[in-house]
Amino acid sequence: MAEFKLPVNSIVKIGKTFSATNNNAGEKPKNTRKFIVYRYDPASGENPRTDTFEVDMDNCGPMVLDGLLKIKDELDSSVALRRSCREGICGSCAMNIDGGNTLACTKAIADIEGDIKIYPLPHQPVIKDLVSDLTHFYEQYASVEPWMKNDAEVEPDKERLQTVEEREKLDGLYECILCACCSTSCPSYWWNSDKYLGPAALLNSYRWIADSRDQASEARLDDLEDPFKLYRCHTIMNCTEACPKGLNPAKVIAKIKSKMIKRKMK
Amino acid sequence: MTNLRSPVAKGSSKSAEATKHFMMQRVTALALIPLVIWFCFSIALLPQVTYEVLVSWLKSPFNFVMMFLTLIISFKHAHLGMQVIFEDYISNLKRRSMAILAVKLLSYLSMAIGVLSLLKIVVGGQ
Repeated sequence: MAEFKLPVNSIVKIGKTFSATNNNAGEKPKNTRKFIVYRYDPASGENPRTDTFEVDMDNCGPMVLDGLLKIKDELDSSVALRRSCREGICGSCAMNIDGGNTLACTKAIADIEGDIKIYPLPHQPVIKDLVSDLTHFYEQYASVEPWMKNDAEVEPDKERLQTVEEREKLDGLYECILCACCSTSCPSYWWNSDKYLGPAALLNSYRWIADSRDQASEARLDDLEDPFKLYRCHTIMNCTEACPKGLNPAKVIAKIKSKMIKRKMK
Repeated sequence: MTNLRSPVAKGSSKSAEATKHFMMQRVTALALIPLVIWFCFSIALLPQVTYEVLVSWLKSPFNFVMMFLTLIISFKHAHLGMQVIFEDYISNLKRRSMAILAVKLLSYLSMAIGVLSLLKIVVGGQ
C-alpha cells in the first residue's frame, strides 16, 4: 500500500532555537520574525528536526531567500540550500514554504502570516536540510526526449520557420524552469513517481508535441500511451496551484489526453 | 561508458488499453447521469413501492431497457474506477493484480445476477 505514516527514523523532532543577533547599533532588534526550518543531516544519524531562527526584519531583504541567506550568514552557516539566480529563472531554490511548493526567491516574507515554515520539496529523498535529490525527476525529463526531432534537410544558414500562430502554441510551455514544484506537489506523483512521469515531464513532452517543427509527435504520444506514465493524472490540479511561473500543467496534460482520444477515434 | 541512467519511465508497462480505459470511464460516467436521474425520479414517482407495483413497473419495455442499461453501465463504471484506485494505492504488483481481478469478477457476477433477475421478472410471470 501507499505509505501514509513516516518511518520512526524520519519523524521530525523539535530542534534548536537561535535568537536574532544584535543590529549595527548593538541593540536587540525589535521587529523580528520566526523562520522554522527543516534540518536533516544523514551523516549525523539523527532524526530530522525543525530549528527556529529569529530574523531581524529591519535588516533583511523582502523575500524568503533573503531571510534564509541571512540565517546562513549570521545565525547558522550549516543550513544547506540550493540557490543561484535569486530572480525566479533558475529554479534552484524550490522548496516547501508556508505549506506550498514555491521558489524562495520570489516568495515575499510579507505574504506569509505567522511563522515562516520551510521544508524541502515533499516526497523526495533529502540530501541535506532543504536540498532534495532530484535525480529521478531529471531522468523523467530526459525520458521524454526534450529536443527537436526533424529529419528534413535544411541548409545550415537557414532557420526552420514558424508562423506567428504556430509559435503562440508554445506559450505557457517553454517557460518551464524545471524547479519541480509541480511534480512534487502532486499526490499521484507521491504514490507512483516510479512510473508516473509527473506534470513537469508531461508539460515538457507536450512542448515538443505542440511544436510545428517537430516531426515525432506521433512517436511521443505512442510513448505516453500507458496507464501510468500519463493516466495517473487525476486532474487534482496541485501542479497548477504550485507553479511559481504561473503555468498550467494540468491543462496541458488534459490537452495530451484529448490528443490521445482524437487519435483513437480516427 | 557506464550507464548512469536510473531505471525511470522507460521500463513502464506498455499498454494500448490505457486510452481506451480512460475513455470508457468517461463515457460510462456520462451515460450514468441521465440513467441515475431517471432511476431516482421513476422510483420516487411510483404511487407506492410494493412488490406488485415494482414488477409491473419493470414490465414496461422502456423501464426494462433503462434498468438493463443502468445495471450494466454502473457495474462497468464501478470496476473501471476501482481499478484506477487500486493502481494508485496498492504498490505490491501481485496484490494489485489480485484485487483488480477480484473486483472485476465481482462486478461481472453482480451484472449477470442483475440481468438474469430482470429477465426472470419480465419473462416469468411473477
